[in-house]
Amino acid sequence: MDIGGILLIIGGALAAIAVILYFDWRSRVKKPAAKSKDAKAVEASKLAPIISQTAEEDVEHIFNEDFREELRNRGRLHFEKIIGENAMFLQQDLRQTTTQLNEYMRAEITRTLQVEFKKYEQSIVDAKQLALDSMEKTVTTIEQQRQLLETQMQTQAEAERNQIIARFEEQLAGIVNHYVMQAIGNQIDLSDQLEFIIAELENNKAAILEDIKRGA
Amino acid sequence: MALKKKIFALPVQVTGRTDINRLGRELEQIEQISISSSAAKGKAIPAPRPSNILTQLAASNSYDLSRSDGRQQLAAALAKIHDHAPLLHISFASEPSPKVVETLLQWLRSNIHVYALLQIGLAPAIGAGCVLRTPNKIFDLSLGASLQKQKPYLVQLIKGAALKKQAPAPTAGGK
Repeated sequence: MDIGGILLIIGGALAAIAVILYFDWRSRVKKPAAKSKDAKAVEASKLAPIISQTAEEDVEHIFNEDFREELRNRGRLHFEKIIGENAMFLQQDLRQTTTQLNEYMRAEITRTLQVEFKKYEQSIVDAKQLALDSMEKTVTTIEQQRQLLETQMQTQAEAERNQIIARFEEQLAGIVNHYVMQAIGNQIDLSDQLEFIIAELENNKAAILEDIKRGA
Repeated sequence: MALKKKIFALPVQVTGRTDINRLGRELEQIEQISISSSAAKGKAIPAPRPSNILTQLAASNSYDLSRSDGRQQLAAALAKIHDHAPLLHISFASEPSPKVVETLLQWLRSNIHVYALLQIGLAPAIGAGCVLRTPNKIFDLSLGASLQKQKPYLVQLIKGAALKKQAPAPTAGGK
């Protein structure tokens, strides 16, 4: 059952109570008027049987089917009026309640969303921080690896350079000789080299003599 | 009376054992023809003309090639030189000219041994200079060996050239 049904039932109950109270009030209003005339009490007491008879007749006359039907109609109309008024109030209340409910729901949803957004934001911040930490660690590791690699490469390059220089210096005479051979080739006549050869022979003369004597 | 023994003069044209062998064969041929000529009486056999080196060798050592004893003495002297003279092996980058060989041989016979003989070889890898091989040693007299001895100087030269190349070029207006 929805809210409208409940409200309709409540409204009907309230209307029934109102009708009962109305008839009770009407019956109480007529009694004091009868009792106000003390002077006529005796007369009234005399007339009481007649009155009571008449009243009974009137009651019977009043509360016949038509009168009851009329009362029903009036009660129905009044009931409908009350129901209409209450429906209006109920509609206003309902609107107000709906508005409050909407506001409440909006506030709750907003609050919940804010909480969730805060959590989400916090999660994003945490994830971002985690990613940043991871990236920083990665960058640090890469930097360390780079420095290590750079050091190794520098050491290796230095060693290789020293090795090349040592090899170059070691084979320098051969390189120059090769260069001289490539540059001038056979253009050097042996006659031009004779002075150099004789000078070299002079330098090694003692050793040659000694070896010749030993060989002999 | 002690006679001073005359030293056998070996001309520089006689370079090595090949030349001595050739001279020996020439002397032997002359000797054979001389024997044949004396055996064939009345029949004249033309004597072969000795080579210039042989003629020069005989003349410089006062041997008469027309006489058998002179030829035999010369052959004996040559054989002695062939067997006992020191043989040096020398290599050049290219074929040396006779003038070069004669000059070298003249120096060797003046400074090392009077009967030094040469065997000439080729070693193109040495570039310039020569490689002398004695009975027990090898003397690298090539340009490569000479440069090897002067390696510090070469390194200094190359470093100087490299530094000069690395130095900034002077500006046109700078003095």
